[in-house]
Amino acid sequence: MGVTIEEARADWVGVEFETAQYTIEEADLLDWATSVEEADPRFVDPTRDDFQAHPTYTASLTSFRMLPDGFPELGNGRGIDGGKAVTSLAPVRPGDVLTGHSLIADIYAKTGRSGTMIFIVHRVNFENQRGEQVSTVDSRIIRNSD
Amino acid sequence: MILDLHTHSIRSDDGRAKVENYCQWIRKKEIPLDGFVLTEHRQFDDDSDYRGLEDRYQLLILKASEVETDYGHVLVFGVNDDLRQEFDFARIDNPIGEVLEAAKRCGAVAAPCHPGRPNVGLFAHYERKPEVEGIELIEVFNGGSRPGEDDWSVREADARGWAGFGGSDSHIVSRIGFCATEFDDDIRDMDGLLTALRSKRFVPRTFR
Amino acid sequence: MRFEDVELGDELPERHPDVSLERVRTFVRAGHHDFPRFTDHEVAKREGLPGAVVPGIMSQALLSAMIHDWAPGSRIRSLDTVFRTPMIVGTKPTCRAAVTDVDDDARTVELDITMTTEDGVTSVLGTAVVELD
Repeated sequence: MGVTIEEARADWVGVEFETAQYTIEEADLLDWATSVEEADPRFVDPTRDDFQAHPTYTASLTSFRMLPDGFPELGNGRGIDGGKAVTSLAPVRPGDVLTGHSLIADIYAKTGRSGTMIFIVHRVNFENQRGEQVSTVDSRIIRNSD
Repeated sequence: MILDLHTHSIRSDDGRAKVENYCQWIRKKEIPLDGFVLTEHRQFDDDSDYRGLEDRYQLLILKASEVETDYGHVLVFGVNDDLRQEFDFARIDNPIGEVLEAAKRCGAVAAPCHPGRPNVGLFAHYERKPEVEGIELIEVFNGGSRPGEDDWSVREADARGWAGFGGSDSHIVSRIGFCATEFDDDIRDMDGLLTALRSKRFVPRTFR
Repeated sequence: MRFEDVELGDELPERHPDVSLERVRTFVRAGHHDFPRFTDHEVAKREGLPGAVVPGIMSQALLSAMIHDWAPGSRIRSLDTVFRTPMIVGTKPTCRAAVTDVDDDARTVELDITMTTEDGVTSVLGTAVVELD
């Protein structure tokens, strides 16, 4: 008998399961911004004092370990990216070393155009090398369960 | 009188619209709506009181539910305490027959929405399961439909003699009123809406 | 664009961003998401997709750039998007946004943001909160 959504929620929501570090590279920030036709000099002119990462850049910072060890087999496969919510609390700049703390923020089921889906919300809270909270990224992983 | 019969607010997991912003948008953009019905996913919002917004913006704001069944999603208008005891609104696999019967027994009106949509539309289920009894009206215009889905709904409703209504299925503010329903009668409250739906004196409208 | 210049209902200028293979390649390398389903149509088709898909995080970045075009110097406080259907690399998306809420105290506005395919199907839908001077 598999684990129910309710049981998984009770066992796993709020559990922090990974901490990873990311060094922010100027070239990546510049390529990211120019590839989306960004024109605001804060994001495309590295000579400026206020040069910084594009506001949703932290959404790319992932260890690709989206679920904790021992997480139950809810639904099928790895899942698809159902959406992301990115909150920007402070600028991220080249040379910053961000620490991302990953946790499961929510688990729920619904039906939609793609069938019966289980949503697993993976949250990463990022802080910089000074301990300042800079961003939160919620990723909604959808697994089909038909 | 024109009402959008299918909208979601931030009370729904995937809704991003605040109800006052819907009101402000309707007035600012001169959307031809006299009101709208909030049909939150898998729940009935018993807590929110929108009477102040109704007065301020001169709009009718009613509350209903969008529940999930083994034949797709169903809008339930006229949710009351009796009906909420009949089945679990939070479930994603309620037997549609039980929902339709319970609604009728408790004085509510239940109607499949976006019936032309894959997986969560009634007609997709008809392709592999028996047809169900007790349906009298369906949503034929849905603001979130892809090309062809509403056409299918209209054809099926015509073939079966069902009445068809419209709703935007808006999840963000700027999509309210994409589809709606024009009623012959003036509607002032949920009882009035139920009477109007049963009378079938309405036509679906699209403003996309 | 200053806060005082913005009203609920304002619509941002539409944008038709370049999502060519070349642009997507640059983006995924910058974001360390260099997977073939984003850059190789054949591999994507073998994974059951209609073709190589624009990464969701690139859609978010394109929508952010649109907001900055409209209000240079503005600060995007949050951007919340649902990815509804794949945007295929090499097609012509349309980005739209409109002001749906104004917070006088925080000097922020909330925007509805969407990205639609050439066929008019909504690929990405969501909201953004933007702080203006």
